[in-house]
Amino acid sequence: MIGAALYLIRRSLVNATRRRVARLRQPKYLIGFVVGGLYLFWLVFRPRRGTGLGGAASPNGDVVAVGLLGALVVFNWLFGSAESPFTFNLAETQYLFTAPLTRRQVIDFKLLRSQVPLFISAAASAIIFSGGHLSGLSLIRVVGLWLVYGTLQLHYAGMSLLRASLAQQGVTGLRRRLGTLVVLASLLAITWWSLRRALPGVVAAFADDPQRGYAALASIMHTGPLGVLVWPLEAVVAPLLASSAAAFASRVPAALLVLGAHYIWVVRSTLAFEEAAVEHAAKLARRIEAVRQGRWAARPSHAAKSTGRIRLRLAPTGGPGVAILWKNTVGATRDLSQRTFILIAVVVIGGSIALASGPMRGLDLVAVLLLGIGGLTLLFGPLAARCDLRQDLEMLDLLKGYPVRGRQVVGGEVAAPVTLIGLVVWSCLLGAFAATAGRQGSDLPSLGDRLAILLALLPATGAVLLVLVLVQNAAVLLFPAWVSVGRDRAVGLEATGQRILMTAGSMVVLVVALVPAVVVGGIAGVAARAGGLPLMWAVTVASLMGSAVVLFEGVLAVHLLGGVFDRMDSGTAGTG
Amino acid sequence: MIEVQGLTKSYGSVVAVHDLSFSVAPGEVLGLVGPNGAGKTTTLRSIVGIVRPTGGAIRVGGHDVEREPVAAKRLLAFMPDEPHLFDYLTVEEHLRFTARLHEVADVERRIPPLLQELELAEKAEALPGELSRGMKQKLVIACGLLHDPRALLFDEPLTGLDPAGIRRMKQTIKERARQGAAVVLSSHLLHLVEEICTRVLIMQRGRKVALGTIAEILTERPDLRGLSLEDIFLALTEA
Repeated sequence: MIGAALYLIRRSLVNATRRRVARLRQPKYLIGFVVGGLYLFWLVFRPRRGTGLGGAASPNGDVVAVGLLGALVVFNWLFGSAESPFTFNLAETQYLFTAPLTRRQVIDFKLLRSQVPLFISAAASAIIFSGGHLSGLSLIRVVGLWLVYGTLQLHYAGMSLLRASLAQQGVTGLRRRLGTLVVLASLLAITWWSLRRALPGVVAAFADDPQRGYAALASIMHTGPLGVLVWPLEAVVAPLLASSAAAFASRVPAALLVLGAHYIWVVRSTLAFEEAAVEHAAKLARRIEAVRQGRWAARPSHAAKSTGRIRLRLAPTGGPGVAILWKNTVGATRDLSQRTFILIAVVVIGGSIALASGPMRGLDLVAVLLLGIGGLTLLFGPLAARCDLRQDLEMLDLLKGYPVRGRQVVGGEVAAPVTLIGLVVWSCLLGAFAATAGRQGSDLPSLGDRLAILLALLPATGAVLLVLVLVQNAAVLLFPAWVSVGRDRAVGLEATGQRILMTAGSMVVLVVALVPAVVVGGIAGVAARAGGLPLMWAVTVASLMGSAVVLFEGVLAVHLLGGVFDRMDSGTAGTG
Repeated sequence: MIEVQGLTKSYGSVVAVHDLSFSVAPGEVLGLVGPNGAGKTTTLRSIVGIVRPTGGAIRVGGHDVEREPVAAKRLLAFMPDEPHLFDYLTVEEHLRFTARLHEVADVERRIPPLLQELELAEKAEALPGELSRGMKQKLVIACGLLHDPRALLFDEPLTGLDPAGIRRMKQTIKERARQGAAVVLSSHLLHLVEEICTRVLIMQRGRKVALGTIAEILTERPDLRGLSLEDIFLALTEA
């Protein structure tokens, strides 16, 4: 069995590497690879303060790492899923579950195969957070992290098996969680009992000097029942925090002991997980498919039905571009429900109120969060939401078969992400304005000025969004070989490089497109100011005029790209 | 070779298969037909041990699938309707990998004729991304046949195949049955079932509607005499 798993790992690695190397013969991948490589080099070796993960060996590192690991474990005991203990892909379910293998052999196979991604994750984390100081210690960090990831993986698997087993015995979710809560409450009680005398001293030490606080906390973590409770956590993170090879070697046996205990826990389970794993694999495949199509919030269809799916109706007559806009919008929002929006609102507002402190009111934090979300959506939304030509060019034959002009197709395609992302960005802006509408104070502009800023931002963000989405779609039409089209998105260093180049190109086009807008807007703003309008309102006028110029440019671009679409044949569409 | 006794499979309140019993002898080809959602795939998955039955028992070559899954699976091959392959294993490597799982020692001898039989020899070094749907289907079937199984379960085996491939596949299935394998073939292609199956099991909403040779079914339902299998199927499942 180990031989089969190693064979699969070895051949997959060799073939994947060969394929990647072979495609570097194409300039688009070679240039992408060089740019991606330079980016990675910068990421690792950029000048930084501190020592990155090297600093993990500090006295605080122990306490923080144990705390983080403990929090992760507790969180997963509380909110983890009983769906499937192991994530198999569809090919694995097809080959492994029909092969004459015992359940333990299947688990061994899966555990062995998952070590490669775990090791790569550990290596990537250790290198990226090394602070550019690669040394022998970096190897210790990689192996240390690998041990932590491996133990966590086994812990989650064991936890899932236990949950699934309880579910099979009829113990429902609520009762199961109740059991977890009782256990956690007991552990908490032990912790409190251990800490109750020492706690005031720890708090005082923290207030005096955080370093002393950590030292006090570390000393009580090693005594009494709390010491017993913390020992497995500490054993797992100890090799990662070792400051020398000798310390690492002395700490590894305890970590391996915890890892081994987890392994025995998992393989001793006789639970039949195959059925759940097959369902989970199919669900995962659907989710991956949805993400590849730009639908990031894919959820089970039954959930969408039960929580009020958003329904968009298409009138039987009207512009064909609207039909394409409708098609892409329905596709992108198929898995969203009213409950999603309510949940987001509750999290943003509730979280802000809970986090607000001192002079920062809850609603101020809501406004800040909304502005942050809006800004990020504006910048990264056009890259992520691919419900346009990036998705549809794969079906060029179908699109060209419609009795519709190219400009109508391009217009409809571009309109979908602009509408969807625009709705999110504008909702954030309006929400931020509403959150601070009742607020007066010297630290904020007046309500009138805030209204003027809002009215300036609404068209300006729309204009920026239009250019960014147009650039993405123009790239698909003008440089089809450079853009990954359809569901399969390229991955790897070369794909990262390509995306960096695309982003840089978008920014250049954005700047060029904004020059006429800034000129016209500037003139209008100056004229408005000269006419006696207050500064903020003059900015609003400038924004409106500038946005109108961008809109004109957008319409012109759609016409030009429509012509390109009309002349395009299916053989030129790239596949990434 | 395959014995299914009182198989029941429920998903919550939905009963996918209800009290289904049948057996398939060596050399026999049983056609499993029924409308969408009849429970055909669930039945096949239960036989291969992927789905755990809610009730009943399944034996393959005398081995209980629930209690002796490894022994039962040594005799089995399941060819699902959707070919799922490992992205970075070539055609030949898929076969070698399958050979390891099934502990097939003489893999070097078995692979070339199998690749020839399924017209995959020229694609031996190709990755799944370079294969058509039909070729992927053929590869899954090649993997299934590699360990010379005594019980073969096909779920829509002709999907994606060209006419030559269809003819070749039909020959392959018939040849394996002639060599003594018990075959269960689930398909919506009734002419295929009529052509190569020795008996037919018609299912509807998880229940057995009819089982036997066409002559046996007509004996039970003389009113259907003179009708094609398609008409018989529609008469039995639309009733």
